[in-house]
Amino acid sequence: MWNILRDLLRYNWEFAAGAILLGAVIIVAALSFISPYPPLDVYVAPPDMPPSSEHWLGTNSRGQDVFWQLTVAVRNTLLFGVVVAVISRLISLAVGLFAGYMGGSVDRMLMSVNDTFIVLPIFPILVLFYFVMRDQMSWALLALVAACLGWSYDARLIRSVALSLKTREFTTQSAFCGMNAAEIVTREHLPYVMPIVFTTTMNNMNWSIGLEVTLSVLGFTDVNTPTIGGMIYWANQHAALVSGIWWWIAAPVALVIVVFVSLFLLSLSMNEYIDPRSRLARMGSG
Amino acid sequence: MQPILSVSGLKAYYQMRYFGVAREIRAVDDITLHINRDEIYGIAGESSSGKSTLIKTIARAIRPPLNVVGGSIAFDFEAGPRDLYALSEEQLSAIRWRHLSYIMQGSMNVLNPVRRIRHSFVDFAFRHMGLPMPAFLQRVEDHLAHLSLQPGILESFPHELSGGMRQRVTIALATVCRPDFIIADEPTTALDVVVQKNVLGMIRRLQQEMGASVLFVTHDMAVHANLCDRLGIMYAGRLVEEAPTRALFQRPLHPYTAHLIRSLPRIGDDTPRHGLEGRPPSLAAPPPGCRFHPRCPLAMDICKREVPPMEELESGHRVACHAALQGIAP
Repeated sequence: MWNILRDLLRYNWEFAAGAILLGAVIIVAALSFISPYPPLDVYVAPPDMPPSSEHWLGTNSRGQDVFWQLTVAVRNTLLFGVVVAVISRLISLAVGLFAGYMGGSVDRMLMSVNDTFIVLPIFPILVLFYFVMRDQMSWALLALVAACLGWSYDARLIRSVALSLKTREFTTQSAFCGMNAAEIVTREHLPYVMPIVFTTTMNNMNWSIGLEVTLSVLGFTDVNTPTIGGMIYWANQHAALVSGIWWWIAAPVALVIVVFVSLFLLSLSMNEYIDPRSRLARMGSG
Repeated sequence: MQPILSVSGLKAYYQMRYFGVAREIRAVDDITLHINRDEIYGIAGESSSGKSTLIKTIARAIRPPLNVVGGSIAFDFEAGPRDLYALSEEQLSAIRWRHLSYIMQGSMNVLNPVRRIRHSFVDFAFRHMGLPMPAFLQRVEDHLAHLSLQPGILESFPHELSGGMRQRVTIALATVCRPDFIIADEPTTALDVVVQKNVLGMIRRLQQEMGASVLFVTHDMAVHANLCDRLGIMYAGRLVEEAPTRALFQRPLHPYTAHLIRSLPRIGDDTPRHGLEGRPPSLAAPPPGCRFHPRCPLAMDICKREVPPMEELESGHRVACHAALQGIAP
């Protein structure tokens, strides 16, 4: 495990760059715990101040320090991405592995549900959810809904691998030795699909963060929880660009781009982990 | 003494329906045989003669579309003969690996490529041993040492071992519970002759130490000649001849067996070998009567009409051939 990480850092610039960028973002998010200002309070600093040594990224029209606001926002946004990714990974693993291994009517039933989710238009559904739920639409509920809508493509991907694993000798042997379906799926097949799960986790986090930012910018979420999209929403509400307070919009946009790029680079480099031959080729021994 | 395995009138067909048209492939058709305790029984036959289907059926490792259509398989492990297909899943699970183990075809691939060897042992054998984990691992290490394998390989992944080592690990895996009956499906096919000799010696040694019975399947007649006590020849889903190995090689009674043995190279003999015309019949539409008659040099009228019965002509030497029954030597 540590050897693989070391090799990836040394021989794979995508992984190194992605890890450094994501590490920087995580440090920024961690700084939120030592923020001098409570994140929800307004008019704690002089409003509309440009970046200075006192307020590194300036202050906004609501009298908040943009840098410290950003630390809380990126923490919530990252956490949202992780929660959605974990929940949707669990669903797609369970559906994909069981559908692939069991086959027959179980497979047909699970895949018809799966295909239904694939063709559902996700964005209008989330907007609809917001209008139905209104004040109950909390951050956690949004994460749950997004996770329930974001598992279907990866479940199909995992199923396709499970279908091939089902016909391998070690699966036959496991069944012959008396392991039941749950044991075979979790102990024999799960380790095999984990690299794919890592890659799709990164992609899924990118997708869910993008979704959250989009919804927040349009005001279709709980805008009182500070998130990257929420910051852009408030900046738009106060016409920040028109009044020349560019740092209020530039800071969250720049940071979320860093998040996207780092996750994308990490998911790229996971391909090297999945296929050790390309890793060796890069190290010059293959 | 009671045989450990009695198979009688076994029929196992692949039954499929494509767009409403039923198709039946008779891969195992009316096979009767028994295997004694403490012996190695070989099954020989060319590709697609039903060897693998037969032993999958004997191991009850079958999945649709393969179905057992008729006949019975009875194992006698402790409490007298019991029909394998009448057992419940729990009873079956209690027998497997503890009494009946199976070295599968392509068995080098039974080790999960992404898990360490130790996990494969724990997953496959631990539940059948009834030992606490430390004692189980100790037992595994002792068993590996007994087969001249380093205990350190337990911590390796399958791709870190050579083909021969992987094969020995799979055999260790199949024998760690000291089973009474071992089914081996072409365990030496992918190995070169030196490694093959090692592996065969190992199977022979384990079999003698444990007093187990082995059902050994391969198309390699040389391996059979070296290893097996008795030999059964399959052709197109049927058993055509069965005899003690020495008798079978010295005096084959079935024309197919005779050709099979005549095709083997011998040191110092450089006469050209003649192949048989034609090819094995399709098991979906086998010829009527004796399935070998379209290729048989001794074919008579009766061969095209009637299936020859399996008769014991000499002690322990059974054959299914109309010509042999009339005393015509192949």
